[in-house]
Amino acid sequence: MIFLKHQFFTLLFLSVISFQGYTQSENEDNLKVGWSTADITPDMPVLVAGQFHARLSEGVMDPVTATILALESGEGTNSEKTIWISCDLVGISDGMRATANLRDEIRNRVIKAIPSILPEQIIVNATHTHAAPYVASTASVEDIYGVSLEQMADGKPAMSPSDYIPFAADKIAEGVISAWGKRKPGGMSLGLGHAVVGLNRLQALKHGKSRMYGNTNSPEFSHIEGYEDHSLNLMYFWDINKQLTGIIINIASPSQVSEHSYELSADFWHDTKVALRKSLGDSVYVLAQASSAGDQSPHVMVGSKAEERMQKLLGFAEEGTGRGSNAHRKYIAKQIVDEVTDLFPVMKANIDWQPEFKHEMKLVPLSRRLLSEEDVAEATKEAKTWQAEYDKLKAEVRDNPAMIETPRWYKDITISYSKLRRGLVVSERYELEKVQPKMPIEVHVVRIGDAVFATNPFELYLDYGMQMKAQSPAIQTFIVQLTGSGSYLPTKRSIEGGAYGAVPASTLMGPKGGDELVEETLSIINTMW
Amino acid sequence: MASQLYIGSRTVDITPQLPVAVTGQFHLRIAEIAETPLIATVMVLETRGAEGDLAIMVSCDALYIPTDLVALVRQAVKKQLPDIDENKIFLNATHTHTAPVLALDGEYLIPKTGVTQVKDYRKFFVEKISAAIVGAYHDRSPGSVAWGMSYAVAGYNRRIVYADGTSGMSSKTNLPEFRSLEGSEDHDVNTLFFWNDQNKLISIVVGVASPSQEVEGRYAVNADYWHPVREGIKEKYGKDVNVLGWAAAAGDITPHIRYRKEADDRMRNLRNLSRTEELARRIILAVDESYDAVATERHSELVFKHQVEELPLPERWVTEKNYLEAKAFVTNAKEQIAEDPKAADALYRMMNWQERTVKRYEKQLDNPKPMYPMDLHVIRLGDIAICTNEFELFSDFGIRMMARSKALQTFVIQLTGSSDWGSYLPTQRAVNGGAYSAIIHSNIVGPVGGQVLVDRTVEVIDQLWDKEVK
Repeated sequence: MIFLKHQFFTLLFLSVISFQGYTQSENEDNLKVGWSTADITPDMPVLVAGQFHARLSEGVMDPVTATILALESGEGTNSEKTIWISCDLVGISDGMRATANLRDEIRNRVIKAIPSILPEQIIVNATHTHAAPYVASTASVEDIYGVSLEQMADGKPAMSPSDYIPFAADKIAEGVISAWGKRKPGGMSLGLGHAVVGLNRLQALKHGKSRMYGNTNSPEFSHIEGYEDHSLNLMYFWDINKQLTGIIINIASPSQVSEHSYELSADFWHDTKVALRKSLGDSVYVLAQASSAGDQSPHVMVGSKAEERMQKLLGFAEEGTGRGSNAHRKYIAKQIVDEVTDLFPVMKANIDWQPEFKHEMKLVPLSRRLLSEEDVAEATKEAKTWQAEYDKLKAEVRDNPAMIETPRWYKDITISYSKLRRGLVVSERYELEKVQPKMPIEVHVVRIGDAVFATNPFELYLDYGMQMKAQSPAIQTFIVQLTGSGSYLPTKRSIEGGAYGAVPASTLMGPKGGDELVEETLSIINTMW
Repeated sequence: MASQLYIGSRTVDITPQLPVAVTGQFHLRIAEIAETPLIATVMVLETRGAEGDLAIMVSCDALYIPTDLVALVRQAVKKQLPDIDENKIFLNATHTHTAPVLALDGEYLIPKTGVTQVKDYRKFFVEKISAAIVGAYHDRSPGSVAWGMSYAVAGYNRRIVYADGTSGMSSKTNLPEFRSLEGSEDHDVNTLFFWNDQNKLISIVVGVASPSQEVEGRYAVNADYWHPVREGIKEKYGKDVNVLGWAAAAGDITPHIRYRKEADDRMRNLRNLSRTEELARRIILAVDESYDAVATERHSELVFKHQVEELPLPERWVTEKNYLEAKAFVTNAKEQIAEDPKAADALYRMMNWQERTVKRYEKQLDNPKPMYPMDLHVIRLGDIAICTNEFELFSDFGIRMMARSKALQTFVIQLTGSSDWGSYLPTQRAVNGGAYSAIIHSNIVGPVGGQVLVDRTVEVIDQLWDKEVK
């Protein structure tokens, strides 16, 4: 009898909880959540993006995907909507740097299928894996890398970027349609954890200049140039039965452990997703975002031997350890998953079923980087040097056609061509700044409960994101970089240091544009509080 | 040459008689309660034979340990263990700001009655710690060690850079002129695990680049985050496990959050943890990860060398401007105290802090190249190095040592003895930025001396890794 009474009250209690949850979720202000993924792995070789040299993919290490999260609050045409799309790509072409525009290709397909969704409600971000298909340009591969795709592929089938972009856009749009169709009442919970994944990769030397990477085991090494941010901003999503449906994981690190791979890969996000699903269920979606991390990488700058040993002792040695290894990816995944799973019960107990939800997109004009004649002269001189090198290497191939039998024979030629092009863009940017001193960029600000998401299309140096986080009225501020085609946005300190990401050829904007981005983003955020 | 390792370890309670003056702020604080015990943990390492060596390491819940007090501990131990080289003993402070004053004089005007006197606590400190060292030394028996490394976010850079190029210490970040944090951070958690010959885990060393000053403003005795770290470790690994807390180079680091504090507070509240418990949670997770990975890779026979030397470091130059400003401050403070003796509670320490600068300048007139004699300990224990310094050493110097070290892991231990009540050792960029920890009164040794410290430490580590140990 006692047991039955206890059972009755338990059932009654659960019914109330369930009823309350369902009632709340039926309210038109409730959040509706839909998820899907799209496999955007091509079925033939493609160019792999992320290095000066061309890489024609030589297989698939793991799938490259897009994860889609559809959010809606309210009903009808006036409902607030956000479509988040996170892609395992190095960047999202958006017309800013070249004619290619994967972002708009996706948007056009989605709004055609679902007219109630507006283009500016769709946000596409890249995780910055350096082992994914090239989407930055629709030009011919010869124009991009100085060697034709046919030559690189030696006559075998290969997919050009101009063919891959619509292929990926089709798949992603299908994913969006699926996620939108599957949206159901749900709730969210907001979490903050920590994981030491992104490390500042700029090494300041004693003579005052900086370099990207290099050997810190040197008397010339002074310090790590900038800061790091090891916060793990998390947003868990739940169905009305309090079952986890997916998680946004935002981390200040690009996913580029396997950055030299010729096999396609989502990098550490693949391992993270596999490990998370093992812990939290196969059906859980993971939407990865990179916070401002232009000066960060997952590569260990100091103490790499100790970390490599730990990777081995933790049982990850099977596919190698150390820099660029799968063991490093798995160790990163472990750190992220440990935090996400540790927080799981706390998050489950603190679900917000009716979070405030607002989304605003603004075209923000930012000052282009003001370049000097000396910058142009230096870059032009470098371009000439690389032109000569390119011509020499090209002639060698012409004179010795058998060279192309050698695997990856095109590496040096494509490096020289990329550096030649890189030198030439400086004078183009110098001239452009005179007539168009400002360049408009998309900034999305999305408030969900006490959290806010703020996007930018850059490889944004960490300090800018930190400034936004420090001044934001939100309890947690998720900065999402690379919601466009990229280009580094360095700090004044980094420009003085002069390392790779801060030189004229690497940048469209400078510190002035960075300061404007911070100010404008915060002004939009502040309107939501 | 590899030799059998002998180990001994003890933990001793060094909680003072209350009430007591606690140190770490400019103003006088009298603690009426002890929120946690204060402890010191001793670890004795020894190898025997012709090439045998010894290290006696003591981690103390203290803000700093004056060098004269270190000497007294060594003397007291030497009396009881006349055959040992007492210079192989070093003590480190965890930098808790809620532990008793240890400098004999000059820090605060402490009431002469009703409060534990500094000389009495120092005597108690020496007796307790020397007895624990002797006990641990007698306990030593064959043992083994394993080393590990993981990560925990337990320290944050506290120097805030603004648009005009100046820096602030622990100042605001939610300002439009906020630009960045001045320096880097080191989130490595370096660990050593020691087992006796019965395979019982007896000690754990935990190295964290963060001073234990989360509750630094309290009028209480408190071991800060090391208390919940130790309690958590004991709960998991056994109540008899001795835990040594080592602060790595962390002069510009604090456990306080410099931005997004609201988010961190919310998460703690959801977990129902205090801030010290939250820091402990993160550190213990790192310890657990290392233990799980390395517990089966124990070393009982290994290379063990401990080199001790006095390292002369060039002192930071006191300019005439520094001197005049300090002298004016001291004169003014003395007048205020003369007018109202109660003003000493707030002014006395700051006055003496600046008076040290006045004295340094006057000393410079006779000796234009003053050198600070620092006690440097460098230990090789198998694949790892342990190196000490006497400062609140800015993180960059520790990172330089670790980057250039031949060791698999390099444990940097700061605050192993302090001149007076301690001194920061800042980088050049910190000096350029200014602010409390990088101004002349806070620095006996400056960036030039810091580099000498790095270079010599790396050189000694190199020697200990050479086949022919010099």
